[in-house]
Amino acid sequence: MFHPAVSKGGRVVHPTATGGHTGPAGAALLALLVAAAAGLAQDAAPGGAAAAARSLLDQYCVACHSGNAANAGLRLDTADLDRIERDPAIWEGVAHKLRTSTMPPTGLPAPPGPVRRAFLDRLEEALDSAAAARPDPGRTQGLRRLNRTEYRNAVRDLLAVDIDVETLLPHDESGHGFDNVNVGDLSPTLLDRYISAAQKIARLAVGSGASSPRTQILRVRADRTQERHLPGLPLGTRGGNAFAVTFPRSGEYEVRIWLTRNRNEEIEGLGRAHDLHLLLDRELVHSFTVRPPRDRLDHAEVDNHLHARLQVGAGPHELAVTFPKTESSLLETMRQPTQARFNMHRHPRTAPALFQVSVTGPFKVTGAGDTPARRRLFACRPASQADEDRCAEQVLSTLLRRAYRRPVSAEDLAGPLEFYRKGRADGSFDEGIERALASALVSPEFLFRTEAEPEGLEAGEAYRIGAFELASRLSFFLWSSIPDDELLDAAERGELAKPEGLERQARRMLGDPRASNLASNFAGQWLRLRSLESFSPNARLFPDFDDNLRQALRQETERFVDSVLREGRSALDLIRADYTFLNERLARHYRIPGVYGTRFRRVRLPEGSKRGGLLRHGSVLAVTSYPTRTSPVLRGTWILENLFGAPPPPPPPNVPALDNPVSAKLPMRERLAAHRDNPACASCHMTIDPVGFALENFDALGRWRDYEDGAAIDPTGGLPGSGPAAAGPDGLERSLLNRPELFAGTLTRKLLTFALGRGVESYDEPAIREILRAAEPGKYRFSDLIVGIVKSVPFRMRNTA
Amino acid sequence: MIITKKALPRRTLLRGMGASLALPLLDAMVPAATALDRTPAKPVPRLGFVFVPMGCDHSRWTPASGPELGRLPTILEPLESVKEDLVVFTNFDLKNAYPGTHSTSNSGFLSAAFAKHTESSDYYLGTTVDQHAARALGKDTQLPSLELSMDLLQTVGQCNNGYACVYQNNLSWSSPTTPLPSEAHPRIVFERIFGEGGSPDERRAALQARASLLDWVRDDIGRLMRKLGETDRRRVDGYLSSIREVERQIQRAEASAADNPLPDLDRPQGVPTAYADHARLMFDLQRLAFQGDITRVVTFQLARELSGRTYPEVGVPDPHHPLSHHGNDPEKVEKISRINRFHVSLFAEHVEKLKATPDGEGSLLDHSVLLYGSGMGNPSKHDHDNLPILVAGGAACGVQGGRHVRYEEATPLANLHLTLLDRVGVYLDSFGDSSGKIHDLFRSVPV
Repeated sequence: MFHPAVSKGGRVVHPTATGGHTGPAGAALLALLVAAAAGLAQDAAPGGAAAAARSLLDQYCVACHSGNAANAGLRLDTADLDRIERDPAIWEGVAHKLRTSTMPPTGLPAPPGPVRRAFLDRLEEALDSAAAARPDPGRTQGLRRLNRTEYRNAVRDLLAVDIDVETLLPHDESGHGFDNVNVGDLSPTLLDRYISAAQKIARLAVGSGASSPRTQILRVRADRTQERHLPGLPLGTRGGNAFAVTFPRSGEYEVRIWLTRNRNEEIEGLGRAHDLHLLLDRELVHSFTVRPPRDRLDHAEVDNHLHARLQVGAGPHELAVTFPKTESSLLETMRQPTQARFNMHRHPRTAPALFQVSVTGPFKVTGAGDTPARRRLFACRPASQADEDRCAEQVLSTLLRRAYRRPVSAEDLAGPLEFYRKGRADGSFDEGIERALASALVSPEFLFRTEAEPEGLEAGEAYRIGAFELASRLSFFLWSSIPDDELLDAAERGELAKPEGLERQARRMLGDPRASNLASNFAGQWLRLRSLESFSPNARLFPDFDDNLRQALRQETERFVDSVLREGRSALDLIRADYTFLNERLARHYRIPGVYGTRFRRVRLPEGSKRGGLLRHGSVLAVTSYPTRTSPVLRGTWILENLFGAPPPPPPPNVPALDNPVSAKLPMRERLAAHRDNPACASCHMTIDPVGFALENFDALGRWRDYEDGAAIDPTGGLPGSGPAAAGPDGLERSLLNRPELFAGTLTRKLLTFALGRGVESYDEPAIREILRAAEPGKYRFSDLIVGIVKSVPFRMRNTA
Repeated sequence: MIITKKALPRRTLLRGMGASLALPLLDAMVPAATALDRTPAKPVPRLGFVFVPMGCDHSRWTPASGPELGRLPTILEPLESVKEDLVVFTNFDLKNAYPGTHSTSNSGFLSAAFAKHTESSDYYLGTTVDQHAARALGKDTQLPSLELSMDLLQTVGQCNNGYACVYQNNLSWSSPTTPLPSEAHPRIVFERIFGEGGSPDERRAALQARASLLDWVRDDIGRLMRKLGETDRRRVDGYLSSIREVERQIQRAEASAADNPLPDLDRPQGVPTAYADHARLMFDLQRLAFQGDITRVVTFQLARELSGRTYPEVGVPDPHHPLSHHGNDPEKVEKISRINRFHVSLFAEHVEKLKATPDGEGSLLDHSVLLYGSGMGNPSKHDHDNLPILVAGGAACGVQGGRHVRYEEATPLANLHLTLLDRVGVYLDSFGDSSGKIHDLFRSVPV
């Protein structure tokens, strides 16, 4: 029952234990390599084509990769070209190095392009046919708990409740660059927090029984500039903030407003009286006036009266505090317009700002209200007391099917129904449902994604995972959330077993708003946009960096990635595009004229614009910089790892200290020259640094610059194997686009890591090549890569332990 | 600053501080309302471990000769007032943290164990010293141990080096495969220590509900286990021990559900914006947890390895990590020493407050042994030799302060861990790469 879709017929039949090399795969392989060798024949001795393939290795590789002291422990002198299937990992490694031109290393003789290409093609074909004969889908862990993002999304889709997951659960540690890889643990702390979270969420969703007043503090980020209009607030207002607040019950709530104080505990900007508006769902519910204090000590009292009691219905609302704008003239102070930090002497605030809002309640509770959560949860209401048990069963079986992501049995219902009965006995029908809901939210069937093995398979045997397991893989990949009813229905009907059925669901789900998760969660980690939240550049060097810009940078990239996905664009558009997304704040940062207001909109970029692809996004350029300066090393590493797909090895152990300190006053290129002169550093930095140098025209916040400290920027640099012509971002983009399969392959590997929740290994490479081959005619559409993954062997199958 | 804060009414100050407003009240309140009756009649030892990343500037950390702790060097100066409670060690190392990385500096600090080089779920380290201690010291307390840190925001892609992020971010491991997540949000720490708000009845009801949810998880896991393969079943065994642990915590919390009727409004709410304020709040919570005997073992990561935090408040606008690769540039080394000193100064405030808090026949500091230091020595070399390590407090446990212990030969930090465990009643034959116990920490007691 747990594996409805796995049947004998669904199992993969392996070639019998013929020892591989004597089987059909082995013979085909030999033939291919002979053909490969023919491509190299001009240099080869007439002794045989296979010998020519061997001679390529002997000529270019074996000098370092032989004997007991072989570099990287890789012996190509003894590795057997005729028996590739015996150790595909070695040959995938060789293929990777040749593909990315990272071997032979810069400065040593390399095979001519066409020869390299021919050898590589044949090698890959041989590896692919070996894999086709004996697919190796790898093994994703059988027990993986929902991570924080998945938990939040699952609660949203299950109960229509938005939770502040960061205060409910500890953060997840990432591995292989993603936080859904190492999720097999359940420490006491985590279990404790899951239980607390379940209780809080159940209370918030159902709202039964009494609820003693509690306080929520809503904080505005300290570096948010409030001098002008802010997104999400009505036009004609200035500063303040809008907060999404879920009210647990209908009743009265006390809202209190604090204004920002400087280090002397004074509220700045009170040269005159200011009005302040409190809005609930964009309706004015209270208006205050803040008056200048008579003397300094009075600052304590200035915002004392900023509180109000509101009657609020249960459920999600938008609470906003803002100042009506009283003047439209531009400020002409000494302050630069977007200077983010205030200083009481040099740059005092010219108008007060919001510090935080507290919401305390409920008082005088009037009921649980009619909330989206209750509408989603209560599949029925009991018609009479006699009807309660039937209705409870209906509510809970609907809930559990979604929460457990599979059909539920009477056995599944028994536990939660027990909780329901106790709650019903102690209180009400709602109380019973609330307790049953809490039990569902702590059930391991909800908290863990399980992939159980069907009976009767040998160890290490590949099998197709069950339909509901596949549905979960699909929804957690595309949405980082639970399947919706339609996907579960499709799984139940057996449609996911067929590639067309699977693709239909995947394409449907990519069209759903929840697929924006790929831009926020997947790309947030792949491109490291998440690190923006903790990015705080030096305030003296970058005086106008504020949270408004930070959020705008993040939004630009998220919207851009989302557009490439939803508009069926080629993934290569991520590298070069003639449009981007801007609001006024970001457009000013980029010095692009004609964009006004806080709203984000798509902007078509003129020919020759400094903006466009990801490499020109301030977000990416900032997270690969230090708070004080750019770092060609970080940028180079980032591109090699995340776009080009040839991550440099980690720094060697025991980094030798540089003998002579390098002056921080030298231009960047000269500073870094020192560690390229050091042989221990040079082998990697010869590759890394030039990649970063190509982007030196962008400063640490991604603004264009032609000079640094009076010296003209020299953007010479580029990717391995791209030749000297690749200068600047144009050149870098050109060399990425010249070898589109490399970028598309890297993106696919990242997507596959995220989709499977495990590291991509050499045995996944044939599947990746298949995905790329299928996507190539459509110029590597982003959505085609995703669908390719969904239909791939590692996504649909798994090895037994 | 022109005017002084004392001219302002107290309330203003509290309003301005926002997040930390509750603590001055708590100070007075906790011992009075709850903790005293739970404070053990016979004072018990507490253990605190404070980790700082990326080593130090030895030229301003290492005291002149010894064994008397004379004039304190620049970095340690903030500890002047508690000098007599201080033992500074020179020449401890962490062999198992090699090959040198930031990940193993963190993971080796309390484990002295070798970190399996992997990014996947097969990570493997060792049970850390605090967790060994918690098994003995935590038997009778509500929480066996408390794991705290300072970094709320996740950065991604900064702990690669081929090591899973668990090594770089988790100081405490309750088994070689179980890293314990730490908490940086004061409000959440507060709730773990003092429980959630509400009336005693509400609290009691909530705890009972938790207990029955936990029973259900156990039953449900049993059902799940039957569907799983052998390897996954072994993993579930680990979950079951977590269930037992949480169950025990609930029982202890139930016993004190009537205590500590702390109004919701007085709880710490947000996270203070300034690093120092946040750190002080986290230290205060540790002190309250010791004082109320909620736990006897605490680990605290004052900053994390590879941190790019800047410290403009002490004249260091440069990010810590790149600065730590100072290449012996005197200007950079001097800035590193400022960061080191700043961290020490926050720790020093904590030590001073512990000393000012009465506990049994002495102060809370007398009954607390605090180990402060880094898992890295010279950050510019990524080495794990000559670690900056000091021990504060513990007079009632026999620690003889006011001394600088300098080893001629590199000595495993694990020896100190082994010795501390021995002192709190956990007798192990060896720990990590230990080569024996050390005899320089305690007063020689006539047998």
